Amino acid sequence: MRSQDVLSYSFGAIRLRKLRAGLTTLGVVIGIAAIVALLSITQGLQDTITRQLETGFAADTLIVTSGGGLGAGAGGGFGGADSGFKLFVDDALAINETLSPDIETSIALIQKVGYIQSGERTRTVTLTGVDFAKYADIYGSTFVAESGNIPSTPENDVIVVGKRVSDPWKNETLLCNVNETVEILWLNASARPPRNETYTGNVTAVLKEIGGFGIGGPSDSGIYIPISQAESFFETDECTMIIVKLKNSDKATIDSVSEAITNYFEDQASVISATAVLNILSSIFSIIQLFLAGIAAISLLVAGIGIMNIMIVSLMERTREIGILKALGMKNRTVLLIFLCESVIIGLMGAVIGIGLGWVLANVVAMALTGENASVVMGNQTAATGRMTITPVLTPTVFLGALAFGVGVSVIFALYPAWRASKLKPVEALRYE
Amino acid sequence: MTAIVEAVNLKKTYMLGKIPVEALRDVNLKVENGDFLSILGPSGSGKSTLLNLIGALDKPTNGKMLIEGVDVSTLNDSQLADLRRKIGFVFQFFNLIPRFTARENVELSMSIAHMSKAERRKRAESLLETVGLKERMNHKPAELSGGEQQRVAIARALANNPKFLLMDEPTGNIDSKTANEIMVLIKRLNEEKGVTMIMVTHDQRLAGETKKTVQMSDGVITGEAVN
Repeated sequence: MRSQDVLSYSFGAIRLRKLRAGLTTLGVVIGIAAIVALLSITQGLQDTITRQLETGFAADTLIVTSGGGLGAGAGGGFGGADSGFKLFVDDALAINETLSPDIETSIALIQKVGYIQSGERTRTVTLTGVDFAKYADIYGSTFVAESGNIPSTPENDVIVVGKRVSDPWKNETLLCNVNETVEILWLNASARPPRNETYTGNVTAVLKEIGGFGIGGPSDSGIYIPISQAESFFETDECTMIIVKLKNSDKATIDSVSEAITNYFEDQASVISATAVLNILSSIFSIIQLFLAGIAAISLLVAGIGIMNIMIVSLMERTREIGILKALGMKNRTVLLIFLCESVIIGLMGAVIGIGLGWVLANVVAMALTGENASVVMGNQTAATGRMTITPVLTPTVFLGALAFGVGVSVIFALYPAWRASKLKPVEALRYE
Repeated sequence: MTAIVEAVNLKKTYMLGKIPVEALRDVNLKVENGDFLSILGPSGSGKSTLLNLIGALDKPTNGKMLIEGVDVSTLNDSQLADLRRKIGFVFQFFNLIPRFTARENVELSMSIAHMSKAERRKRAESLLETVGLKERMNHKPAELSGGEQQRVAIARALANNPKFLLMDEPTGNIDSKTANEIMVLIKRLNEEKGVTMIMVTHDQRLAGETKKTVQMSDGVITGEAVN
C-alpha cells in the first residue's frame, strides 16, 4: 500500500469515529496546552526578571560581599554561612588602590531595611549609605534625578529617594517630594533593648522610575544618604557590599579581577558578577521549567494511556476488518503502519491545538499577572519593581518539543495495540464476531 | 494441465480448549487451471478449513498445500500476504468495508497491491460494470442489497487478476432468485474469462452447476464427481 493510501485509510478510520477521536485528542490537547502554557510563562518570567536584573545590575560591575553568597553581609541575606568576616567602608579604597588596573572605581554601600510611616500604613524602604558622585558614575543611567538634583558633595541631611518612595500609589499622591523633610525608622536590633531610631533628612532629588531590580544598583524603593551619615547613624563602618566598576565587561577581566579580590580577602569575601547571577538565575529557571514540564507531562501520560485504551477498543471492533485486509493481501507492517498513522494524526492534531491553546492560556495568565506590583525583600535589601510585565515566550525549542512530545507519546502508547493488530491471524480475525 | 492448487496428505488439527480436533485428515486434492470446483459437505465437514488453507489464510498442521507448486507452509507472513494478493476471496457474509463505497471497496484490494489511483479507479469501474453494478458504484454496502454486495465482493476478488477465486458459500446469505443470478455471473466469469473457481457450498443443487464436485465429510474427501 502506498504511503498516501495508508494516510488516507487512517484518516478515514478516524473520521468514522469523530467523537471518540475528538475525546482522545482532547487528552493530548490538555497535556500539551499545560506544558506549553507553563513553559512559556516561566520563560517569559525568566526573561522579565533577567531584563530587570540587567537594568539594575550593570554587566561591568562586581559585587563584593562578606562571604557565602548574595547579601550575606551585615544583615544576613540568602546563601552562605556567617564566617565572622566583615567588609568595611575603607576596603573599597583598598580595592581601588591596591588591586588590578582593570578596576575603574569601587564604592562601599551600607544598606539597612527601614520604614516610612504614612498614616496607618508602613512602607518598607532600603536605606543606603553611598558616595553619591561615584554611585552616579557607576549607575549613570539609573541614579538619575527626575526632579531636584543629586549633589556630588552633599550636605549631611541630604537624601535622594526612589520613585516608589515618593509616589508609592502611582496616582500622584506623593508620600514625599523634593525639599520636604522625611523621617525614616530603623529598628536598631543590636541595641538593648532593641529600639526604633529615626533618621531625618531633606529630599533633594527623586529618582526617575527604574523598573528593574538588582543587587547594589539603585532601586525604586531605595532611599540614599551620604555614606558618612550612614556610618554615624548606624554606628558602624561595616559595609554591606562593595561595588567594583570595571574598565570593561569581558569575561577575562571579570575573572581576573574576581580572583584578585578573592585573594586579597583570603577567600573570605564573595565576588558576584552580573553574568554569574544571570547564569545562576538561568539554571534555577531551567530546574523550575523541568519540574513544571514534568508535572504537565503527567497529564500527557494519562492522555497516552487513554490513546492506548481507545486503540485497543478500536482493535477489537476492527478485528474483522483487519482480517479482510489481510485476506486481500495486506502485510503485517502495513496494518501496523495504519494504526501508528492514526496515532500520529491524533498526536499531531492534539499537539497543534494544544500549543495554540497553551499559548492563549499563557497570555491570559500573563495578563492577569501583569500590573501587579512586586516587592522583593532580600535580607536587608529591598528591591522593588514598578510594574511586572510578563510576556510569555514560546521558543522554537518549546514549540518543536511539544509537537514531538505530543506525537511521541501518542505513537509510544499506540505501539502495543498496533503491534497486536499486525499480528492477528487472518483466519481468526475473519471469524471474529 | 498444470495443477494450480494441490493438497497432499493435508492435515489440520485445532485445539478446542485442551482437546485436539482434527478438522482435516489426509486430504488430497488437485485443482487445475480453468476448473470450477465445488466442495460440498455438511456443516463441520472441514470444507471451510480446506478453503482457508487453499487461500493461504492458515497453515496446515501436516502435509503440503501447494499453490502453483509453492508449499504454503514454507512461507513467512510477508510472503503469505504476497500470495494472497494473487487469490480472490468471496465470503458468505460479503466482508465489505462498511465506510467505503462499492467502488472504494473494489479499489481497496488494488491499493493494497500498490496500484496507482487513476488505474485502480478505472479498473474498479470496469469490474463493477462487469458484475452489473455500474449505476450503484458510489453506494455504500448498507445501501446495497445482499446480492449487490456479493457482486461488489466478486468484483473486488477479481481486481488483482487472481490466479483463482475462492468462494465460501457465496450464495448462502442471499435469496434464491439473487443466488441464481450470482451463480450465472460466476459461471460466466469461469467460462468466458477462464477464471479458476473453487466454491464451498452445502447446497447440492449449486454444486451441480460446477464442473467438478468434491464431497467432504468429517475432514476427509469422501467422493469426487465430474458434473
